[in-house]
Amino acid sequence: MRVKNIIKLFSKKLGREIGTAAVLLLMLIVFSIMDPIYLSTGNLIDIIDQSTINGLIAIGMTFVIITGGIDLSVGSTMAIAIVGVGKLLASGMNPVLAVLVGALIGVVLGVLNGFLITKLKLQAFIATLGTMSIYRGVAYVITNGWPVLDMPQNFRNMLDGDVFGNIPVSIFILFGFAIVAHILLKHTRFGTYVYSMGGNEEATRLSGVNVEKNKLMVYVICGLGAALAGMIMLARLGTGEPATGQGYELNAIAAAAIGGTSLAGGRGSIIGTVLGTIVLSALKVGLVVVGVDTFWQYIATGIIIIVAVCFELIQNALSKKSQKL
Amino acid sequence: MCMEAIIQFKGVSKVFPGVKALDNVSFDIKQGEVHALLGENGAGKSTLLNILHGVYNEYGGEVAINNKKVNFKNANEAIVFGISKVHQEINVIPELTVGQNIALGYEPKKGLVINFKELYRLTDDILKTLKCNFNSRDLVNTLSAGEMQMIAIAKALFHKAKIISFDEPTASLTSNEAEILFNIINQLKNDGLTIIYVSHRLDEIFRIADRATILRDGKYICTYEISDVTREKLIQSMVGRDVSAFAVRHRPSRVTGEVVLETRNLALSNTFSDISFKLRRGEILGFAGLIGSKRTDVMRTIFGADRRTSGNIYINGEESNIKSPINALEHGIGLIPENRKTQGFVKMMTNADNIGLACMKNFTHLGLVNHKEKTNNADQFIKSIGIKPKNPLHLTENLSGGNQQKVILAKWLSTKVDIFIFDEPTKGVDVGAKADIYSLMEDLLEEGKSIIMVSSELPEIIGMSDRAFVMRQGRIVKELKQDELNEETILHYAMGGE
Repeated sequence: MRVKNIIKLFSKKLGREIGTAAVLLLMLIVFSIMDPIYLSTGNLIDIIDQSTINGLIAIGMTFVIITGGIDLSVGSTMAIAIVGVGKLLASGMNPVLAVLVGALIGVVLGVLNGFLITKLKLQAFIATLGTMSIYRGVAYVITNGWPVLDMPQNFRNMLDGDVFGNIPVSIFILFGFAIVAHILLKHTRFGTYVYSMGGNEEATRLSGVNVEKNKLMVYVICGLGAALAGMIMLARLGTGEPATGQGYELNAIAAAAIGGTSLAGGRGSIIGTVLGTIVLSALKVGLVVVGVDTFWQYIATGIIIIVAVCFELIQNALSKKSQKL
Repeated sequence: MCMEAIIQFKGVSKVFPGVKALDNVSFDIKQGEVHALLGENGAGKSTLLNILHGVYNEYGGEVAINNKKVNFKNANEAIVFGISKVHQEINVIPELTVGQNIALGYEPKKGLVINFKELYRLTDDILKTLKCNFNSRDLVNTLSAGEMQMIAIAKALFHKAKIISFDEPTASLTSNEAEILFNIINQLKNDGLTIIYVSHRLDEIFRIADRATILRDGKYICTYEISDVTREKLIQSMVGRDVSAFAVRHRPSRVTGEVVLETRNLALSNTFSDISFKLRRGEILGFAGLIGSKRTDVMRTIFGADRRTSGNIYINGEESNIKSPINALEHGIGLIPENRKTQGFVKMMTNADNIGLACMKNFTHLGLVNHKEKTNNADQFIKSIGIKPKNPLHLTENLSGGNQQKVILAKWLSTKVDIFIFDEPTKGVDVGAKADIYSLMEDLLEEGKSIIMVSSELPEIIGMSDRAFVMRQGRIVKELKQDELNEETILHYAMGGE
């Protein structure tokens, strides 16, 4: 009887996030047995700190993927934000203003993606494959291929300084963005439409919903997340390269998938994605702590992605069984 | 006819999450008969067929063929054994030839490569016995829906099927094509095959079936000899209560003189033209016609789902520039589309979300959705129009066809629209839900709403409409008043009479 209840609870609606949390917990246990230092406060903060950049991108990506789309241009969007904001700061612009301009860059690039997808009716994969290359080119053109150097300290403190002792401010930015995103997705009309467009775009359109506007919005959010990630990276390193962010789109997609976002659309959550991001960085940090060669990280990451998605299949099977009981 | 049982179901049971789809079902199907399987949606017909065809292989009880217990691991095993199914939806690969489709997966080989000469010879032989007027080298995408269905039958014969089941085979066929299908079924029967036939259309059952088994709520009810049963008796057994399943208006007409919707010379290039009509408050305006007469396209255009190329639409006497469903909703028009799955409701969403989808504004305060209000709204309609199961948090995709249709209707009821366009309101809907939907339509009229109803079921047009138009090849060819509505007249105009 008790087992049944646990299975039932496990397979309830929140089950997918619990699954991701279980993977995370398992990793924490295994790594801390291998080296207790893994569980130290400093190390745990480090894990979350390592998640901020991928997390911000992955949260935006989650919106896009739930509608059934994809955004491959996030890494390049990030690069434009980095070199754009870097140039502005180098020319002496007020850091607050520069950050606002940086956010605006993300929004504009997102609008452009959304325009190609909603107005020109291009497939999201192809449209953002195109802009991935275009945006990357623009980032190189802005600096002529040179890096931006010597970011002012006040800017660096604003986005990546420490508060409350030694907690990086970027962690608060990540959770702030995540909370807003969660509310948008679960508690606004827009959020409902994000799910319904992914579940059945035509039925949503035939319900009098402005599909074009709402779809454009998800690419804007995704662009904004990527730009924020870029600026945090710039603040963290103090320098910025136009080549930054290559392959980041895949990390973001991986985080979303681990967190239970279905690439077919219609399903996913911000909580899941944030957990997914943390799983990825906990793994990375853990392998470093126990001293595994970096090359193995790629293999381990791949395995985690596949295991996490298999988890979903097991869970579906369990949920079917629990309803039979 | 031989009287030996070829298929025996013995205490077959099947449980799905939350539902007992089949409950201890036992009956026999005799060698060489056409055996109809009847029941409301959700009665368990499809589940039983899926068990017979090896789609489900975990179930209680047993299935015996020729007195031997069988349990196929998958559908392919059943096909090879000689049990084939002709689906409601036509499953073909349009880019391949007819012959390739028929032999798919079992092509005759010459060494490592397909022996096309042999393949086309074999399949042409089958097409000949089916009296098809196309041959195996034709590309499938050049065929009509009826011809594509012949491929499914040919495929069954290719595998030397002894038993063929048909699941709503006439759903996407014109009446001519259906006629051809009935002849083929008769011919198969004369050749000694056993046919299982599932359909909601009782006329067809009386035409071709020898016996009919009724299932209700997953239970076996009874088996009738078709020759000594009446239509009323069958319906009564299916619904378990005495419901007039026929489309009949029970309340007085509500038609007023007020025109709520008017179209003038509406046209969509290459599709339809010159569509002019007026819809009055309190009226059900029927649109009859054969499949392909472009009625659905007209409705989608009025609703803004397709952009008209010319013509005007007037709502309450004022010209309105409807360019998208968003505008249509603003002007108080709702569309209950023909295809629920692809256009009606959203997968992976609950009834509450699907019912609230078109009026999320009403539940939004200061930018945030009040989930409780949304659920209460759904709950109210679930109770008032009888959606089952009575759970606003149930996924709509798991409901029966009739209940899904009610969810879509509830979506528009929530928006307070004035004009309802029903495109095939009872397609794939069981008898009980049909009566409910008809009664809901009359409720709408009493509230001063107006209805346009596209339907391919003539009894529905005749029984429900205050007035009807007949369309043919993208044009309105005739307006018929209530007292002029009968099957002969409608078909006369629909098929090209003057």
